[in-house]
Amino acid sequence: MSVSKMEQPKVGVFLSDCGKQLSEILDFDALTTFVKGVSNVALIARGSEFWRGKGLQTIVDAVKSGKINRVVVAENITKISDVNIAQAVENAGLNSYLVEVLDIKDHCAWPHRNAPKEATEKAKAMLLSAIERAKLLEPIEKLEFPALKSALVIGGGIGGMQTAVDLTDLGFEVKLIEKQPFLGGLAARAGRFFPTDDCAICIQPPSSDVKTITHTSRKCVYRSGFSEIPNLNILTNSSVVAVEGVPGNYKVTVEKKPRYVDPDKCVACDKCVSVCPVEAPDEYNSNMTNRKAIYINVPAVHPQVYVIDEDACKFNDCAKCVSVCPTNAIDLDQKPEQVTFNVGSIIVATGFKEFDASVIKEYHYDEYPDVITNLELARMIDGFGPTGGEIVRPSDGKPAKKIVFVQCAGSRDRRYNPYCSGICCMISLKNASLIKEANPDAEVSICYIDIRTTGREHEYYYERARDMGIKFIKGRPTEIYADEDKGKLIVDVEDALLKRFLDLEADLVVLATSMVPPEGTSELAKMLDIDLEADGFFKEYNAKLRPTETKQKGIFLCGGATFPKDAPTASLHAHSAALKTAKFLNSGKIVKDLRTAFINDEYCGDCEFCPVMCPFGAITLEPTTENHFVARVNDLLCEGCGVCVGTCPLNAIELKNSKQNQIAAQIDALLSVNGTSKPLVLAICCQECGHTAVDSSGMAKMEYPANVRVIKVPCAGIVRVNQILDAFKAGAQGVMIVGCKTDGCHYEIGSENAEKKADSAKVLLKEYGIEPERLEMFKMVYIEGAQFAEAVQMMTDRVAKLGTLNLMGDS
Amino acid sequence: MFFSEEVTCRHGGETLTACYQCGTCASSCPVARLDSRFNPREVLNLALLGEKDEILSGDAIWLCTSCFNCQERCPQNVEIAELIFALRNIAIEAGNSPNIYADFGGALIADGRIVAISKFVEKKREEFGLPPLKPVGVEDLNKILEATGFTKPEKTEASK
Amino acid sequence: MKSYAIFLGCTIPARQPNYELSARKTLEKLGVELVDLDNFTCCCPAPIQSINLESSQAVAAYNICLAEEAGLDIVALCNGCFESLAMANAALKKDKKLKAHINEVLAKVGKEFKGTIEVKNFLQVLMDDIGLEKIKEKVTKPLSSLKVAPFYGCHSLRPSKLLQLDDPERPQIFENLLEALGAEPLEYRNKLKCCGGLLKGISDDTALELAREKLANTSKAGADCISTLCPFCFVALDIGQIQVKGKFQEIYDLPILHYSELLALALGVAPEELALRSHKIKADKVLEKIA
Repeated sequence: MSVSKMEQPKVGVFLSDCGKQLSEILDFDALTTFVKGVSNVALIARGSEFWRGKGLQTIVDAVKSGKINRVVVAENITKISDVNIAQAVENAGLNSYLVEVLDIKDHCAWPHRNAPKEATEKAKAMLLSAIERAKLLEPIEKLEFPALKSALVIGGGIGGMQTAVDLTDLGFEVKLIEKQPFLGGLAARAGRFFPTDDCAICIQPPSSDVKTITHTSRKCVYRSGFSEIPNLNILTNSSVVAVEGVPGNYKVTVEKKPRYVDPDKCVACDKCVSVCPVEAPDEYNSNMTNRKAIYINVPAVHPQVYVIDEDACKFNDCAKCVSVCPTNAIDLDQKPEQVTFNVGSIIVATGFKEFDASVIKEYHYDEYPDVITNLELARMIDGFGPTGGEIVRPSDGKPAKKIVFVQCAGSRDRRYNPYCSGICCMISLKNASLIKEANPDAEVSICYIDIRTTGREHEYYYERARDMGIKFIKGRPTEIYADEDKGKLIVDVEDALLKRFLDLEADLVVLATSMVPPEGTSELAKMLDIDLEADGFFKEYNAKLRPTETKQKGIFLCGGATFPKDAPTASLHAHSAALKTAKFLNSGKIVKDLRTAFINDEYCGDCEFCPVMCPFGAITLEPTTENHFVARVNDLLCEGCGVCVGTCPLNAIELKNSKQNQIAAQIDALLSVNGTSKPLVLAICCQECGHTAVDSSGMAKMEYPANVRVIKVPCAGIVRVNQILDAFKAGAQGVMIVGCKTDGCHYEIGSENAEKKADSAKVLLKEYGIEPERLEMFKMVYIEGAQFAEAVQMMTDRVAKLGTLNLMGDS
Repeated sequence: MFFSEEVTCRHGGETLTACYQCGTCASSCPVARLDSRFNPREVLNLALLGEKDEILSGDAIWLCTSCFNCQERCPQNVEIAELIFALRNIAIEAGNSPNIYADFGGALIADGRIVAISKFVEKKREEFGLPPLKPVGVEDLNKILEATGFTKPEKTEASK
Repeated sequence: MKSYAIFLGCTIPARQPNYELSARKTLEKLGVELVDLDNFTCCCPAPIQSINLESSQAVAAYNICLAEEAGLDIVALCNGCFESLAMANAALKKDKKLKAHINEVLAKVGKEFKGTIEVKNFLQVLMDDIGLEKIKEKVTKPLSSLKVAPFYGCHSLRPSKLLQLDDPERPQIFENLLEALGAEPLEYRNKLKCCGGLLKGISDDTALELAREKLANTSKAGADCISTLCPFCFVALDIGQIQVKGKFQEIYDLPILHYSELLALALGVAPEELALRSHKIKADKVLEKIA
């Protein structure tokens, strides 16, 4: 809406005295008189409260009457009350962004209660600032577009399956896609899960729509009726190849690899397997054995349909399976198929895999067959595995009597994966205990740096392992070598507690390898345009504040895809992702407010700073016709922080609702009235931590000098160096920037960015003959209200000592 | 200042605090197995805990053979061999070292070499058909040693 | 013709003319020019690094500057020199702050480290500038059926991040170069373990035990001789063998020969020209086998 089309602003000012508490400190008559004198003020009202009840009705009536088209409310607990007021105003027919709420209680009356005259003068400045801002506010619309009530879950492991079931229960259409021919992921191969040692593949049953014979609370995938769930479409042997579209409506292209066996005809009789002449390494069993070219992993899988390994099969040169199949289920002419469909939301549940320990050369994983990983051991322990449940030395098949586990193989290792993978201690304890249980005479030792058993029942698990006679050696082995004479492996380790060097003999050495992202992760991230962390896992935006969320509003993450985790945590995460997806799609439409940044194309100068700085990846560069490019803000991704505004060297970006003219008007107004004998200090506070620290200092009734003037900005990163200089020109004797702590910045990098600008500004101030100490950056959180009070006192004293600023030239 | 800080401020000592006492260095060490007086994990632990006297006046740090196997295998990229040098540097500044280091230091300052070349050797070179040795930049060397605060170790009563 | 500044260090001119002789003769035969520069000093290896690390790094940088000024890469024969110089070279090239700091010191003697040259080990020169094929061609007296236990020593390989000679766990460069001579390189237990050389004078018992382990392991593998790259390793295993005989009454009769000496023999250099008499364990057995 262009300015000329807008009406003249008519500001209604509502002053609440909080049950006459505030009027005992602030002179409300003086305030009322002052406000009357400000241009464009069309209505002034005074009352006990305006954010609810009769007071709120007063505002609503005033809006409906047309008397006012801007609302300024001096109210209590502004961070809650402004939501109420904005909603009521919106319902009354006025855009909710034409409302400005300020807090003259926690920001003025309480902290300055022992200097009532000064407080009143400050309140005048605050009111003037709010009114001037209100006059410059513009309506901001919302973007609404339809959301399909459907979801795609990428990954058919326990995380993906759980989240799929939840979503179908909630009434959504779900497509579950799995690149392997069978569901189950890592869990299926792991066999059992700690700390209960129950089957890994046991999951929650689907809704009561599917009647299974016994309604027990948990079921294996293959007998859970998983495939019978209405609204659940399972695509195995398939991968996502392309994704386009917007949140609420993604167009997904999937490539289905041919199975060569018709699921509707296959009766799982195994005749094809028995006649197949070709053998190939069995990846499901970590290549510890062979399988046929036509195969099913283990008897209990889902789907119960065979698949042909097209790299191994001889196809029509053989076709023995075709002739022997009793139901003609095998079709060797099947071709890959591409399907396209639209979904409202996508959930990534691609899990993790074991790190390839071959790179740890001193452990000889690639050279000695008797050095294996925990997953390979789990396959051996599994009765359906390559050795029928016997623990043997892969080199010669003899029983393994001495087994040594080596923890942190590739984890907590700056050469490979610096993080702790979290679950490997419990996995080794589990496998060691299962071995001991089946074979009490086996000698089992675990070499560790630390034993990490942090979850419920995990400590007991560790105790039980010790009770079973498993030995624990505190030390990380330097090398595993083969003693040919003894026919054994030797683990060379120092027991730090005994201070003794051990050459542990072993039939089998089990490496508890690190957990890493699976193949295809970076390609998938590119396809979906979501970010990865430095360690390669999918980036979850904030585990506390925004779990399961990614940079893209409609794409969620769950399970091991964000970081290795155990089954209970993966389950929680899967349920969360389903809930988040449901919240996102539930109303059938996506609503996004457009309180976003916008680029002034004329000024944009090909510099590329803003796309790099944007914490949400919301800015892209678009080529224009003249061999240049301009920056473009994606309204869906923009979170309205303003870091781009503060970054642009050409001042080409503005943030709606925090425009530079609005900020300038507020600063001028705040600095126009002093009323104290002290120098004016401007405090630019970010709305997340900085401003809330001011709130809390007031709520706790701390006292600090009244010469400080607080202005709220979305993020400290929005501050530009020229705005700091302008503040001094406008009469500030000192300037404070109050932001979040660097690692806790609610917009990732805003606080750090602001600090850098403060440093640059200090250099410029020096050039202009202004003492750089007049400017200071503070970082604090909400509960550090005392720090705000101290900071104000400190700045006041400092600036007073420096004397009055005499600026040359125009002010 | 804590001793660990004193170490991390020095050349070679920067990585001390990354150590999490896993003991890979101990089993990598060719000396530790044979001589219980020296165990690199132990030396680092003493440094982390601030046991300055034990390190500086003990035998341990002089028994490292500088083979770098520990540094090569360390999962935290701790520069263990360099740390031992740094600890030796501190010990020498405090006046503790095996006497052989006085010989090395003295020879370096005097000749610019740690092994003196005698006239006999020079004559033999001629016999073998080897070219005569070029002059050594002793003066430059000494300027550099001075500029970097090189202290020549002194011989002490108790030779280690 | 490729030229190198040859860095002799202290030990080789003082005690191992055999190493220098064989190195010079072989490189000449293979077409590499060696230049002797003025003013090289001690490289400041471990014994000096133990006194002051900063001084050592600065002196190493000084030596590199001399080669930079001559526009030549350095070939260091001794492992200790190789390590000291190559580590300093790599560290200063990587770390700008450190380089600035060391250059402040070097300014006092009118030098500036620029990072323009490479410091190489003898084996690297053979691989990079000559190559296995050419060496094979030039071999006139193949060391056929000679079983050689290659001993890298510590400081040719470690710390691998800075030295970058070869894979520190599974190196092949030495073995490949031995095969090029027609010899058979052997695998043996703990082949990359320290010889204990630097402990001489501090803990002779440990030093001797480490030398003994190497002799025992190479002997068990069937070695006719051990081949070394470092003068300290040479002494530890050569003179060390006599000390081992004295202390443990064990006789190994394993001649120790630097790679350059084996190379010289394979290229047809007469044994008399190689000062082989300076070896304490005489190499006669080896000479007979390859005749």
